[in-house]
Amino acid sequence: MKNHWQKKTIALCVSAALAQWVMGTARSDSAVGVNTILGNALNPDTLKTIPAGDPEVLDAVPFQRTPTGKLHEWPPIVPPTTTTASGWKYRGEAQIGWMGAGGDTGSWWYNQYKDLPTNGLYLNNFYFLAEQPEKGQGYFIEALGGGIGYRDQYEGVKFGRYNDWKVKLFYTEIPHTFTTSYRSLWSGVGSDTLTLNGLTPGGTRLPANPRVAPNAANSAGATRNNLVNAINAIDDAELSIVRETGGLTFEKYITNAWRFYGTYTKEQRIGERPFGAVFGGGGGGGNVEIPESIDYDTHDILAALRYDDGVNNFNLQANVSLFRNNIDTLTFQNPLYATLNTIAAAPAAPGQPANILDPTQFTAGRFDLYPDNDYYNLRAEYARSMPEWYHSRLTATASFSKFKQDDDLIPPSMYSLNGLAINGVPAANKWNTTAALSKQSADAEIDTQLFDIGLVMRPTEKLDVNGKIRYYQTDNKTEYFACNPQTGQWGRLLNDGTGGAFVIPSALLGTNPALANNPLGTLPTAYNTTGCDLAATQALNLVPNAGNVNLRNIPFQYSKTNFELGGEYRIAKGQSVNAKLEREQYNRDYREREETWENMIKLGYVNRAFSFGTLRASAEYGVRRGDTYNADPYHQFYSASLGPEPTAATTAAASWVHAMGSFRKYDVADRDRLALDLRMDLIALQDLDVGITGQYRDIEYPDSEFGRTDNQTLGSATLDVNWQPSAKLGITGWYTYQQSSLSQAAIAPGSCNIGSYYFYYSDGFVGTVAGVVGGRPPAAPVRRGATVVNTVYVAPGNAANWENLCADHSATSPLWPDSRTWEANTEDSNSAFGLAARYDMGFVRFELDGTYITGTTSVDYSYNPNALNAAANDPKNPATLPGNAAATAAIWQYAGTGMPDQDYDQQIINFNIVFPINKWVAIRALYRYEQGSIDDWHYAGVDGNPVPSFNTVGAGGVQAGVAQAVYLDSGPQDYHTNTIGLLVQVNF
Amino acid sequence: MSIYPSLPRAYIRLAILATAALLAVLIVSCTPTHEGGLKDAPGSAGGKTLEADLTNNDSTYIGEKACLECHEHAAQHASMGVHAAAFRSNPRGARQSEVCEACHGPGSKHAEGAWDRSLIIGFTRNWGTPVATQNAQCLSCHQGAQRINWVRSTHDVNGVACADCHNPMEKNSVTGALVRNSISETCYTCHPQQRAEFLRRSHMPLPEGKMSCEDCHNPHGSPTRPLLKTDTINELCYQCHAEKRGPFIWEHAPVRENCANCHLPHGSNNDKLLITPRPFLCQQCHDPSVGHPGNFYNNSQTAESAGAAQASGILAVNLQSQRIIGRACQNCHTQVHGSNHPSGARWQR
Repeated sequence: MKNHWQKKTIALCVSAALAQWVMGTARSDSAVGVNTILGNALNPDTLKTIPAGDPEVLDAVPFQRTPTGKLHEWPPIVPPTTTTASGWKYRGEAQIGWMGAGGDTGSWWYNQYKDLPTNGLYLNNFYFLAEQPEKGQGYFIEALGGGIGYRDQYEGVKFGRYNDWKVKLFYTEIPHTFTTSYRSLWSGVGSDTLTLNGLTPGGTRLPANPRVAPNAANSAGATRNNLVNAINAIDDAELSIVRETGGLTFEKYITNAWRFYGTYTKEQRIGERPFGAVFGGGGGGGNVEIPESIDYDTHDILAALRYDDGVNNFNLQANVSLFRNNIDTLTFQNPLYATLNTIAAAPAAPGQPANILDPTQFTAGRFDLYPDNDYYNLRAEYARSMPEWYHSRLTATASFSKFKQDDDLIPPSMYSLNGLAINGVPAANKWNTTAALSKQSADAEIDTQLFDIGLVMRPTEKLDVNGKIRYYQTDNKTEYFACNPQTGQWGRLLNDGTGGAFVIPSALLGTNPALANNPLGTLPTAYNTTGCDLAATQALNLVPNAGNVNLRNIPFQYSKTNFELGGEYRIAKGQSVNAKLEREQYNRDYREREETWENMIKLGYVNRAFSFGTLRASAEYGVRRGDTYNADPYHQFYSASLGPEPTAATTAAASWVHAMGSFRKYDVADRDRLALDLRMDLIALQDLDVGITGQYRDIEYPDSEFGRTDNQTLGSATLDVNWQPSAKLGITGWYTYQQSSLSQAAIAPGSCNIGSYYFYYSDGFVGTVAGVVGGRPPAAPVRRGATVVNTVYVAPGNAANWENLCADHSATSPLWPDSRTWEANTEDSNSAFGLAARYDMGFVRFELDGTYITGTTSVDYSYNPNALNAAANDPKNPATLPGNAAATAAIWQYAGTGMPDQDYDQQIINFNIVFPINKWVAIRALYRYEQGSIDDWHYAGVDGNPVPSFNTVGAGGVQAGVAQAVYLDSGPQDYHTNTIGLLVQVNF
Repeated sequence: MSIYPSLPRAYIRLAILATAALLAVLIVSCTPTHEGGLKDAPGSAGGKTLEADLTNNDSTYIGEKACLECHEHAAQHASMGVHAAAFRSNPRGARQSEVCEACHGPGSKHAEGAWDRSLIIGFTRNWGTPVATQNAQCLSCHQGAQRINWVRSTHDVNGVACADCHNPMEKNSVTGALVRNSISETCYTCHPQQRAEFLRRSHMPLPEGKMSCEDCHNPHGSPTRPLLKTDTINELCYQCHAEKRGPFIWEHAPVRENCANCHLPHGSNNDKLLITPRPFLCQQCHDPSVGHPGNFYNNSQTAESAGAAQASGILAVNLQSQRIIGRACQNCHTQVHGSNHPSGARWQR
C-alpha cells in the first residue's frame, strides 16, 4: 500500500521542494492551519529591531488606550522610505554581525527549540517591503527572514495586489531537542536499522556451547557487565528532530463577494528521539531505551471559498492531509539477554538432540512505526443576518472528516522459531510471515461528522438570547482479530517472539465443577480447530485458561451532543450580565459508561464603564453524571468471552475480573466542576496600567473511591504592571503564581485463586494458602507481631463465589483487599516573573527583557508496607531469611512518604544596547543570559547507574538472573550560558 | 475532624456560585460608572449592525486630504500598515476609497467640532465610541470567513472590541495589525496565566517564536468552546502531530477521544506536557486485576535508590523499576498513542 501512495505523492513532494526554494510569511486566516508566525528565539515577534519610540506618538495625543483600557504600545518612529522614479516605495532593514556563546551550549534546555551561533557571522533578521501606493496600482512585495542557515531559521515572501490577490510562500525550521545526554549503543541512528557497536546482539551466552542450555543468571550477569562497560565508554549525544515546513498560499477576490483561499504546505520531520523497547511478555523480560528514527513527511492541501454579501456568509472548505512515514519499520539489534515466556523448546524429533530454548537467538527487535495515514475534511459554514427579525443571526456548520490508513502489516516475528513451540504447537515458520495475521493490511478508518446550528436574536434593545445545538460523531470501522490462521491460535506473539499472550482451554479436566473447568478429553489445541472463527470458538463452550487475552481490537467511537441556551442583558452603560445553560451528552461505545451528561450553568459579568478600568468576571458550575458504571466494558474483546467462567480449584480467576468495580476512570466519572475567572484592567495613572487576573478551578469526583479522587484544584493569580511615561522610557512587569493539586488512589491487586484460603492479619498483611477440596482448612502462615483477624475461602464449584469476593474491593477481598490501598497526591506550584524595560538617551538606547520561572511538583503518598510486603515473616519460610527481611525494610525506608520533589527554575535575560549612527545605520550589542536547574527523580542516578538491575541473591545465596533494564538517556541537566553579539542594523 | 460544615459538597459549591453572583450584583449596583465615556449602542447580535449610535448621521465624507490637515502624523504611521495602503491604491468599494473615513465614518461634522466624540468613530477607550459600534464598523468589511462565528463567541460575549487586539494605525506587529508585537503577546494581555504556563519546563515553542496562540485558537469565533480551529481537540493536535492521527489497529481509548486527557497544552512541570508525572498519570486509569499497573511504585525504585541499595550490599531484592525510571510506563509501552503492530495490543511494538 505504501508504494502505491509513494507514487501518488511524488508530485506533491516535488512541488513542496520547489515551494521551499522560495519562501514566505505564514497563513493569515485565523480559522485554518498552523504556522501563523515566523520567528525564532531571538526574534519571537518575527523582527527584533529595537526602534526608537516616536515622541509625537500617533496623533500628538499620548496615552491612548484600547477599549478595555490597556495602554497602546508607544509607536516606533516611522522608518525612512524611499520612492523610485517609477512610483515604487520601498523600505527595509537587515541586522547582521558576529555572535558568540559560552557556557553549557550543548545542553538540552538551551537547545530545546532554538539554534544560536556559538561563534560566527549571523544574519539575525531582514525585512523588505516595496509597494506601489498610487491609486489603481497597489502591487506589493514583502520579504523577511531570520537566523539564516541555522536550524531555527525562517523566511517568507509575500507579493500580490492589495485587495485583489496575494501569494505567500514561507519556510521555517523548528528544532526540537529531546536530550543531549543520550549514550547510544548503536550505529545507524536515524535510519531504519540500528546496529550494535561492539556488543553481542542477543546478549552473552554462558556457557557458549550451543548444545548446552544457557545459564540464565550467568548469562544475564555477563551481559549486564558488558553493557555497563560499553555505556560508560560512550560519550553523551543529542537526540533531536528538525521540523522543516514550507508552504504556499494563494488568495484571490473573485468578485466583491467571493474570495478563494488555497494553501499547500509540506512539512518534513527528520531526526531521532528517545524510545523504548521491551522483550519477553507480561511484566517485561528486559527493556532498553533505543533511539527512534524519525523521517516524516506531511502534505497539507486546503482550498476554500468565502462568500460575503453583507447579509449572507458562506464558507466552503476542503482539506486533505497526507502523512507519510519514510521509515516504515525500525529494526534494532538487541543488547539484552532477554527473559522469555510462553515460547518453549519443542519436543525433539526421535533420534534428534533436544531443542534448547536460547534467548540469545533473539538478536534483534522490530517496531512497526507510525503508519502512513490520510485525512480528508469537507466543511461548510453558513450564516445569515436578519436584522429585520429581532436582529437575528443564524449560523450553521456541517463538517465531515475521514481518517484512514491502510498500511501493510508486518509479521509478529522476524525469526523462524525453529525447534520452539507455543502451548505445545510447533512454531517453526508459523509467525514470521504475514500469513500469521488475520489480515494483511490495516484497513483502518474513522469517519466523523459535525453539525452545529445556532441562532442569536435580540427581542429587546437590552437583551440578546441565543441557542445552539451541536452534534459530533465518530464512526470507527476498524476490525482486526488476533488469531493466526495457520495454527488457529488465539492471542498474539509478543516482542518479536520473546513472549506471548495466548489463550487455550483450561487444562483442569473432569466432571466435578469444583475440580474441573472443562470436560475430560478437552485438548489444549481445541480452540485452534475452528480456523479463527470467533463464533465457532465460542460455540465450543470451553473455559479458557485466562480471561484477559486480547481477541480483537476495540473500535472506540462516540457521539457528543451539546444543547446551549444563553443570553446577555445590558443592565447599564457599558455593563452587561450574561448567562448560559448547557447540556453536554456523550454516547460512547465500549467504554465504562455508554452515556454521560453534564449540565452546566455559567454566569458572566462585564463592566467597561468604570472610570478606572474594566472588569470581567465569570463563574461556571457543571455537574457530570452518567448511566451505570461498568468497570469491565471490554469483555467481548477478551478471552473471557470465549467460554464459561471457571469454577475449579487452583484456577487463577483474577484475569476474568479485569478491573475493580469501584475504580473510576476520570474521563467518564461523575464530576462536579466549578470555574471562577476574574480579570480587572485598572487604569492606575494616565501612563500606568495594572492588571489583576485570577482563576480558580475545582473539580470533584464525588463517586470515585479509586482512580482520580477527591478534588482536583487549580489556582492562578497574576499581577501585570505596564508603565509607559514617554517615548524614552517604558517598563512592564508581571508576576504569576499558580498552584494545583490532584489526588489518586488504587489498590495493589492481590490474587483470586479458586480454592485458596486468604488470611487477613491485624497489620494489614494478606496471606494465601491453597486449600484441598473437601479437606480441612490449612493453617494460616505465621506472622510475627500480627494476628489473623479474618479468613476467606474462595470456594470452588461455582463462579459466583469468586465473583462476589473478587469483583470489588473490601476489607476481605482476596483480589482488592483494602489494606493494600495506596494513595498519592500530586501538587504543582509555580512562580513566574517577567520584566521588560526600555530607555532611550538619544545617542544610545537600552532595552532589557527577562523571564524567570520556578516550579515544583511533589508527589506524596501513603500506603501500608505490611500489606504490600510479598511474604510473611515466617521463620520457617526461606523467603524471610534475615537478609531478605533487611532488604524488605530497606525498600520501605527508600520509599519513604513521597517521591523527591521535581524542582526546576529557569531564567532568560536579554540586554540590548543600540547606538544609532544615523537614520540608516545603528549598532546593536546584545547580551543574553540563560540559566536553568532541574531535578527530576525519573532520571536520578541514571547517569552513574544506567543498568540498575542486577542479579539477586535469593534463598541459600543462590544467584538468580534478572531481566536487564537499560537507561541511556540521563535526562535534563542544569545549564547556564552567556551569549553576546555585535550586530549592524542597516535601514534602506 | 473536618473543618467544613457538614453540608454536601454540591451545596457548598452552589453557595460559592451564589456568593459570586451576589458579589457581581453588588459591584454592579455600588460602583461608580464613567458618565462621560461609554455609551450603549445596539450590540452585534444582528451581525452586520450598521446602526452606529452616533450623532453624525448627516455627516458627509470629506476625503483623506481634509483629514490630513490635522492628522498628518497619524497618517504617516497608518501608511505603514495594510489598511491605508489598500484603501489608497485599490479600494474595494466606494467607502474604502474614503480611506480614513472608511473606518472612522464620514467626517464633515467632526471637522467642524473636532472634540465632540459623538461626531466620529474612534477606536480607543479615551474616545468612547461604544464597542458594539466599533466592532460593527470593522465587521462591515471583515464579516464572514474566519469571523463567521464571531457573534456570541466568548470574546463577543465578554465585550471584547476588535481594537482590543488590533490597531491598524500603528505598525506594532509584522502581520495582523496587532496592538502588541505578536499574536501571543496580544493574547497575553488578557490571558497571562497562559504566558506563565508557556515558560514551564515542557511547553510548545511559543516563547521561541515558532508558534502562536492562533495556531490552535481562532480568536474570532469557532463552533467549539475554547475557540478551536478544528472540530475537536484531537483534530487540532493532529495538525502538527499527524503521525498520531492513525487510526490504528490497537487504539487507546482516552488518546483517541481527547489528547487533553493526559496533556496540558499550555505547559507543564512534567515531561511531554503531562498532567502528572508518570507512572502516576497512567495509574489514574489503570489498576487491572492482573499485572503491574496497579502496583505501588515509589522512591525505592529509582536508579539512585537502586544504586544506593547495591552499594549498601542489599542484594536480595532488585529495587529498580522500569515503571519509575526515565520514561516510566513508556519504557515498554512506547506506542501509547496507538499501534499497527500485530503484537501491539499493549503498545509495546
